[in-house]
Amino acid sequence: MKNEETDNPRRNGEGLENPSRRTLLRGGVAAAGGAALAAGLAARGAGAAISQHADPLITDVQDWNRYPGDGVDARPYGLPSQYEKDVVRRDVPWLTADSKSSVNFTPLHELDGIITPNGLCFERHHGGIAEINPVDHRLMINGLVDNELVFTMEDLKRFPRENRVYFLECAANSGMEWRGSQLNGCQFTHGMVHNVMYTGIRVRDLLNEAGVKPEGKWVLAEGADPSLMTRSIPIEKMMDDCMVAFKMNGEALREEQGYPIRLVVPGWEGNMWIKWLRRFEVGDQPWQQREETSKYTDLLADGQARRFTWEMDVKSVITNPSPQAPITHGKGQTVITGLAWSGRGKIARVDVSLDGGRNWQEARIDGPSLDKSVHRFYFDFDWDGSELLIQSRAMDEQGFIQPSKDELRAARGTNSIYHNNGIQTWYIKQDGSAENVEVSS
Amino acid sequence: MSKYLLKPLAVASLLALAHPLAASAQDADAGEKVFRKCKACHMVGEDAKNRVGPELNNLLGRQAGTVPDFKYSKAMEAKGNDGLVWDDDTLSEYLENPKKYVKGTKMSFAGLRKETEIQDVIAYLKTFSEAAGTPAETESKAEEPAKNDEAAAAAEPVQTAAASDGDVLPKDAEVPDHGVFHLGRKALPDEVEAWNIDIRPDGSGLPVGRGTVAQGEVIYTETCAVCHGVFGEGEGRWPVLAGGQGTLEDDRPEKTIGSYWPYLSTVFDYVRRAMPFGNAHSLSDNGVYSVVAYLLYLNDVVTDEEFELSNENFASIKLPNEENFIADNRLEEPAYAAKEEPCMKECKPGPVEITMRARVLDVTPDSEDDSVGAGAIE
Repeated sequence: MKNEETDNPRRNGEGLENPSRRTLLRGGVAAAGGAALAAGLAARGAGAAISQHADPLITDVQDWNRYPGDGVDARPYGLPSQYEKDVVRRDVPWLTADSKSSVNFTPLHELDGIITPNGLCFERHHGGIAEINPVDHRLMINGLVDNELVFTMEDLKRFPRENRVYFLECAANSGMEWRGSQLNGCQFTHGMVHNVMYTGIRVRDLLNEAGVKPEGKWVLAEGADPSLMTRSIPIEKMMDDCMVAFKMNGEALREEQGYPIRLVVPGWEGNMWIKWLRRFEVGDQPWQQREETSKYTDLLADGQARRFTWEMDVKSVITNPSPQAPITHGKGQTVITGLAWSGRGKIARVDVSLDGGRNWQEARIDGPSLDKSVHRFYFDFDWDGSELLIQSRAMDEQGFIQPSKDELRAARGTNSIYHNNGIQTWYIKQDGSAENVEVSS
Repeated sequence: MSKYLLKPLAVASLLALAHPLAASAQDADAGEKVFRKCKACHMVGEDAKNRVGPELNNLLGRQAGTVPDFKYSKAMEAKGNDGLVWDDDTLSEYLENPKKYVKGTKMSFAGLRKETEIQDVIAYLKTFSEAAGTPAETESKAEEPAKNDEAAAAAEPVQTAAASDGDVLPKDAEVPDHGVFHLGRKALPDEVEAWNIDIRPDGSGLPVGRGTVAQGEVIYTETCAVCHGVFGEGEGRWPVLAGGQGTLEDDRPEKTIGSYWPYLSTVFDYVRRAMPFGNAHSLSDNGVYSVVAYLLYLNDVVTDEEFELSNENFASIKLPNEENFIADNRLEEPAYAAKEEPCMKECKPGPVEITMRARVLDVTPDSEDDSVGAGAIE
């Protein structure tokens, strides 16, 4: 390890396995891409404007036209169609030491709209998934308060509730890409983000119930999992828009998202959204916990490190087409779509480039435009079948513009791991397949 | 309400009495869940390897301390040589209190509290043991499931109802006088003390205690080295804890306690909070002081093996990299500070070239090689 060549990507960020040792790789994607393209061509045959033969899918009576299917009791909790079974979270096992302290990725290339389905929200745990019976769960408030309090779940549900849609992005999302393009799929380069409607109560109400003393400036939030995850959060943020959520997208939080309750810290890095939340401590200084000193601090080229880099900056990515979702229909009318978000507010605009960032056109944002929520954008165009270098560039309502990766590297170096919001480039080849690349500036 | 619920409880107890088999029936599926407590250290099934603990295939019928290539405690090897073979009875007793049954075992696990958990996990392990008579067990369980489930279903709500309706917050209790909504109740001092374990750089929150480098070395070698390496160099992809001084500006910086972490209090807090992985909260406060003292020694912050760390001298010890942490100044970077209307046409001088292609074209988990790596995310 000490004698690595300088261009060895093994230690990108905190380290990435040298792909040259992973012999299967090139063959693997060729096969997968080929299958997708073949399937696409078959579909084109049936759907093409000029057809020589009547389509038997139309002229023949199909099984599903004839035989009744399952009744209403067969699927008490509905699941996606069998034809969607590959739409799942995936991990990259060699990134971390143990699956109980690891991460997997949201399949962004399979989704549309702005809401992430509960079962597909990426997971990040530090001591595995805690399984807690809600009647056994307690939330404590202690420290610089007039009354140190304990709440049951029943107590919490008696506070006034609110519903808010927020994105949650891991600060390390795209962290493997600091040294250059690495992973071939937006699920892996950008999949540590999800967007959910939370139902919960205001942290402000909880803290006021205990009565924060004037010298109380920080709150330590703590989880009940085996890592007893902790982060220090300024009281202003907690009093502003933080929530204790017990529902996501209308149903109970999933266990892997912190059931029965998690902290919602809108716009700020996902690590602070403490899951299995069990305690708030009010203090006059930050606690300098592991996840805000040794981790989630951003090492710069000069050896200094930024700490408390909470906001997630303006960012976007094209989710389709992308390496896992090639263009399969050939030239002609084509939809480019993707996601944009900013921890500093709403997205004001998204631009798309087809030529690697030389020329840009404004994309169309469709669907709800909410504060600190992902925005869905589309760019509809007539593809002439030539090679493309597609990019998206987001601007938020405060006027911050998504930077290029080269601009980020010039300012920070390549060892920051966290907060990589640089513009992503997908190289679209003539056969419609896509690859993660970087381009000249 | 509690009166109403008494009835099923009584039925449940009767069932348990009348059907001792049902009460102790082994459930391999439930056991798989219990086994999660063991998974941090033990593997079982196809491809199982020795980790912190030995692999557990064919455990039933095995002589204790005999898995090849696993370094057992002398105590466990001696027990095996004296004839200890793992079966229902011996495993039950061991899992109830490992250190009592095999005095001197390396297994730092405190034991399973519930008899049902012990029986279930043994049932689960039997499914990986050829010598175990699993078919017979499965059958005897199949005869009883309805009653067993009923008993469990009836018993559960009684306990929980008692907990939430009775002891903790009586429904007809007076409305508390605190706050705006008068919700929740006052925390008791013992409760706050149990959870309020965080330590700050100024030493606030530290428990009274002490431990030396030499004492820490014993605990570290026994408990921590299996993942973090004998010298803190990190095994496999587990975190490196020592070394790396002077590498922060390198292409491959090594961020350790000595080279990167700003505060010693973080080490104490985190070890006491979450370590050892898979068996958190198993070290005494003095044990944590000792391990932290040893980590200072591994990082050359202290050089004397006789050094003793205590709540009295703790706050006086500084880590070398503290001054290199700065506030968030991202918005001063040119790209953010400009806030200019972005360029739309001819933004680059000529046609754009590809300068780098994806290093990893197919990130599909690789069965051949996926146990190797350096850990991009921690």
